[in-house]
Amino acid sequence: MSNFRLTLERRQQVSTLRSAATYILGLLVGLGCGVLVLLAAGAPASTLMDDLVVQVFFSARGLAQTLTLAVPLIMVGLAALAAMRLRFWNVGIEGQLWLGAIGATLVANNDFGSEALRLPIMLIASALAGAIWIAVPLLLKLKANVNELVVTLLLSNVAYLLLQHLLFGAWKDPVNSFPVSPRFDDNEQLASLGFGNLHSGIYLALAITLLMAVLVQKSRTGFYIDVIGHNRRTALATGIPVTATLTLMILLSGALAGLAGGLIVTGVEHRLTQTIGINTTFSGIVIAFVARFNPLAILPTAIALAGIYNAGSTLKVFYGIPDAIVVLIQGIVLLTLLMVQFFRSYRVSLLRRTPPQTARQIT
Amino acid sequence: MSQGAPLLTLSAIDKSFDIHRVLEGVSFDLAKGEVHALLGENGAGKSTLMNILIGVYSADAGSLTLEGLPLIIGKPSDSARHGIGMVHQHFRLVDRLTPTENLLLAADDHPHLKTRTAARNALLATAREVGFTLNPDCPVGELSVAEKQRAEICKVLALGARILILDEPTAVLTDAEASSMLGAIRRMAESGRSIILITHKLREVVGFSHRVTIMRRGKTVAAGLDTTQLSIEKIASLMMGSSASSVAPSSTPDTTTSSLQPRGPDLLAIAHLHAQRDDGAPALTDVSLRVRAGEILGLAGVGGNGQHELVETLNGIRSASAGSVMIDGADALEFPPNQRRQLGLRVIPADRMATALASDLTIAANLSLTAVVRGRFGRFWLNRRRMEREAKASIEQHDIAGARPHGRMGLLSGGNAQKVLLAREIDSGMKLLLAHSPTRGLDIRASAAVHQRLREAVAQGAACLLVSEDVEEIMALSDRICVISAGKITGELPGDASAADIGRLILGHE
Repeated sequence: MSNFRLTLERRQQVSTLRSAATYILGLLVGLGCGVLVLLAAGAPASTLMDDLVVQVFFSARGLAQTLTLAVPLIMVGLAALAAMRLRFWNVGIEGQLWLGAIGATLVANNDFGSEALRLPIMLIASALAGAIWIAVPLLLKLKANVNELVVTLLLSNVAYLLLQHLLFGAWKDPVNSFPVSPRFDDNEQLASLGFGNLHSGIYLALAITLLMAVLVQKSRTGFYIDVIGHNRRTALATGIPVTATLTLMILLSGALAGLAGGLIVTGVEHRLTQTIGINTTFSGIVIAFVARFNPLAILPTAIALAGIYNAGSTLKVFYGIPDAIVVLIQGIVLLTLLMVQFFRSYRVSLLRRTPPQTARQIT
Repeated sequence: MSQGAPLLTLSAIDKSFDIHRVLEGVSFDLAKGEVHALLGENGAGKSTLMNILIGVYSADAGSLTLEGLPLIIGKPSDSARHGIGMVHQHFRLVDRLTPTENLLLAADDHPHLKTRTAARNALLATAREVGFTLNPDCPVGELSVAEKQRAEICKVLALGARILILDEPTAVLTDAEASSMLGAIRRMAESGRSIILITHKLREVVGFSHRVTIMRRGKTVAAGLDTTQLSIEKIASLMMGSSASSVAPSSTPDTTTSSLQPRGPDLLAIAHLHAQRDDGAPALTDVSLRVRAGEILGLAGVGGNGQHELVETLNGIRSASAGSVMIDGADALEFPPNQRRQLGLRVIPADRMATALASDLTIAANLSLTAVVRGRFGRFWLNRRRMEREAKASIEQHDIAGARPHGRMGLLSGGNAQKVLLAREIDSGMKLLLAHSPTRGLDIRASAAVHQRLREAVAQGAACLLVSEDVEEIMALSDRICVISAGKITGELPGDASAADIGRLILGHE
């Protein structure tokens, strides 16, 4: 029998300082592990700092690209947050994003509405399409108690097949050999801000983040969300409008994901392609978790993750490091952050065993 | 009963959790062949002490000896090897397996029990020895609570326990089942086993234990007293400290305050109500009840006879299959919880943390939950500052110890959590209070406070339907008593009916 033992105690109260310190530590450990993975994959140590930090955040071109990538990430982060605060597992953010992109393109292809209103109609269509796509799992959940994990996940595949069906068929640009839709007209594109590819969609993303923060933290609905998310039975028994709140927030989640798709096609691609929004479900969930479901914290988190993505494409071009490495780093950061939650809530200590006078071995 | 050297001694045990000192120099000893009652209010440290004995926690300081030799227990299997077994309030049984299979599952360290026949025979032999009837081949999930408990006890004994810790064994039993269980406990002691009996019911202590140890706030206030020398009043005063016996259940005032109130109109009228359990089996068949303003109607009965479903149906979270529910004259059958609350319904459910409070939210949020639904703190935007201010006032007014508006609900003790719930539910809009086992898991002092709140509520003109499995509670509070059995109302008695009369009705239809 060893002379030491490990003990575990739940902390009765956790100070804000401890909470912040463990969180930052977890983030650093996660990023540190990510760097090790990069080195192991063959990235040169000498230029890593330059590639990972300086080029993506402190050079004009790099920052512009980082912010451009951050716009849809902010939206999917908010989409994940809207659903996960209610313990509704929307793992079909990609599907809603693709539907949103399809919705916007549908409006552009058919020239719905006047030219002046075309762009807003496209964005509204993208939000509506995303909301309609998530309405299916929501209805199944409310009416038949079908697990939303399965339905949202599988509907993403359906959405992707629909996207490919359109791009290889009816919507294929006749003058292009790639499976892409015809290029949008100028009035169907978001204004460029003259800073790299950055477009006016970033204002929309900022405004929606603020609105979300107000909704979640200041409104009566935000209070309902907290109660439903933490104890649904209590919410039901005390007369909180559970179904209405759930419907509102889940449709909002789908709409935000759809809008992310709309912003990508109107702001960056200017056409529908089959490469948009890949892996955004996972990114959205990671962002929401890392931001601890706080809407305002979504902003820096999404921008930081966009930086990693941006650096990822540099690493891919120059050192042949695959895209999957970026997803791996995201995963590592998420895991370390989840693990430090444990050290936040529990005290682990190594104690010397008090030696009993005559230790009796267990018979 | 203590002859010679004690079998088991715990001496000067200290234990702290984080900054809270839970046990401070606690000592306890157990003789062979005795029933030793361990008493104390909630939070006195009984469970912690027993968890140290069975190896769930380890003590910070102090020593354990078994038969004069130091005993080192690092993990639960160590205590099992020394023949120490515990029957928890929540049984450690797998519902889908039979008692035999449950024994097999737990018999890792017992090679001789490793076959199905051996386990089954061991279980039956144990049952015969203590005088239980037991079906070893029926899945545990289909057994009644009392049968589950017998299966659990037999399992622990068959695994070789000679020191048996029973945590409130009669809390879930009817009076008749409880006396048969207490008889079996005496028989186990007579056959040479030693029993530690944790209980809140003083009558059981006086009638069935040899010695008593009483804990208060993490210390032993009386160690190993001979039960024959003690009265219920004396034990109550030791348990509660100075201001003692006035709040003991045997001396609580009767219902005179509320019976002086004139009876008003029916605030609740249920007629021919039918409802189903989750699995589709009938839970309520043709239940009719009326509760008038200014009275407490006690609904007695053994748990699991439809009480849970009745409370949920009245709350509005379970739909009735037939019948009518009138709250303050309005037909509320189709109403969701929110509209029922607008009619004046307030609910104290049996499982408060699961269906009335949110343990991860702040105390302020829990106190203002229903007011937020009513729109008191704003229609669209919440006035959080006002919420906090009112929560602070409420905490002071109701003397909720250890509560701060920003504190997490889950950190409050059971008694204080119930105070939060009562403070929220008993408000100016209350007309009909539905209370289901409102003192379950609370100590004497907290129970007395809850009873006082209920009496005050009806004295001010509210109606109260008290659903409880505790006959003493029903008798102490009710103006009229109804009995529910197998989903039917089997009879009505006046408020001063004797326990025997109530018991006859409860058991008559089983």
